[in-house]
Amino acid sequence: MTTERCREWRESLGAHALGQLPEEERAALEAHLEGCPECRAELSSLAGVARLLPMADPEHFDTAPTPPPSLADQVVATIRAERRKGRRRRLRLGLAFSGVTAVVAAAALAIFVLPGGSGGTPEQHVSFASLPSGLHIAATLEPHAYGTEIHMYVKGAPSGTLCRVFVRGPNGVRQSAGSFRYRWGDDSDAVLSAALDLSRTKALGVRVGGRTFVAPVDSGEAA
Amino acid sequence: MPPGALSRERDVREAYAAHAGELYGFAVRSLGDSGLAEEAVQETFLRAWRAGARFDPQIGSLRTWLFAILRNVVIDLGRARASRPTVAEGGIEPTVEPFEEALLSWQVEEAMRRIGDQHRRVLVETYYRGRPYAEVAAELGVPEGTVKSRVYYGLRALRVALEEIGYDD
Repeated sequence: MTTERCREWRESLGAHALGQLPEEERAALEAHLEGCPECRAELSSLAGVARLLPMADPEHFDTAPTPPPSLADQVVATIRAERRKGRRRRLRLGLAFSGVTAVVAAAALAIFVLPGGSGGTPEQHVSFASLPSGLHIAATLEPHAYGTEIHMYVKGAPSGTLCRVFVRGPNGVRQSAGSFRYRWGDDSDAVLSAALDLSRTKALGVRVGGRTFVAPVDSGEAA
Repeated sequence: MPPGALSRERDVREAYAAHAGELYGFAVRSLGDSGLAEEAVQETFLRAWRAGARFDPQIGSLRTWLFAILRNVVIDLGRARASRPTVAEGGIEPTVEPFEEALLSWQVEEAMRRIGDQHRRVLVETYYRGRPYAEVAAELGVPEGTVKSRVYYGLRALRVALEEIGYDD
């Protein structure tokens, strides 16, 4: 084994790879390299790294640029918007293949779905006032031909809390929109639906654990 | 959907926490503009999320996959930018070449940031500033032989760091 003898030579290999070794030292090292395949292999590997050094700018060694803190939320917001678009698309497809004839389906699409997508009643953001501190609830309602799609965002309840969602119509009639469980760490929204048109929805309620919170919905039918 | 796919918002947040710093650092380096770099990172995660089901952790890491997407985004952005002012006369299509170069530059710089201060220091002084070993040794208050061995161990550390960040010769 030549390891011990090689150690000293080894430590010159970096300088050699960078062309920094004085002439006489270089000659001696090269003589050693002739008879030492291990050191030759090490030199060739270091030379591979040395070749890359000119690619870098030492001005950039000290600090890496960091993204602004708001970028994370922007990324998530972009994806949420994209997901909503995707759901609308899926809904249209769902109707198109629902067993009615294609012509009827196309008519239904034209009449009911398209206005829900872009024109018609716009989506509604609902905020819940006077929540206990630490608890955060928000919702977005989207109009659809079948009724209203409800996106619930809950934060700050104990993990596993059952949340029941309902809507109220013009004369106070309550309709269930289903339930979900809030899981700690999962910040995705729960998606529910109710068979009540958004234009007729007056209030959105959610029972979180043992407490009920109700928020008014501005359904666009002013007065 | 395979495990690790970016199908849920939570997955996206986790992937962002793990890789956005590097992706952004590289995007800034290659686009030379922090606004465009933000756009590129946002677009990268959006495309990753759209194609989430196609990600297969058996084939490669999430990081490699995200970098591959960013690569396309950067090329698209570069193209869009190049076509804005004077595309008619020049008709120069940005090729993959500048991207690979930018990636390499970024990788070496990132590797330099990851190795120890002492190692980086001797490489900067002797290689980038071209200063003699004796001078650097005197400044650092160490024997010349120490500068030489730090250059050696510095290059080795750099090699390891490059492998870590996915440099593949």
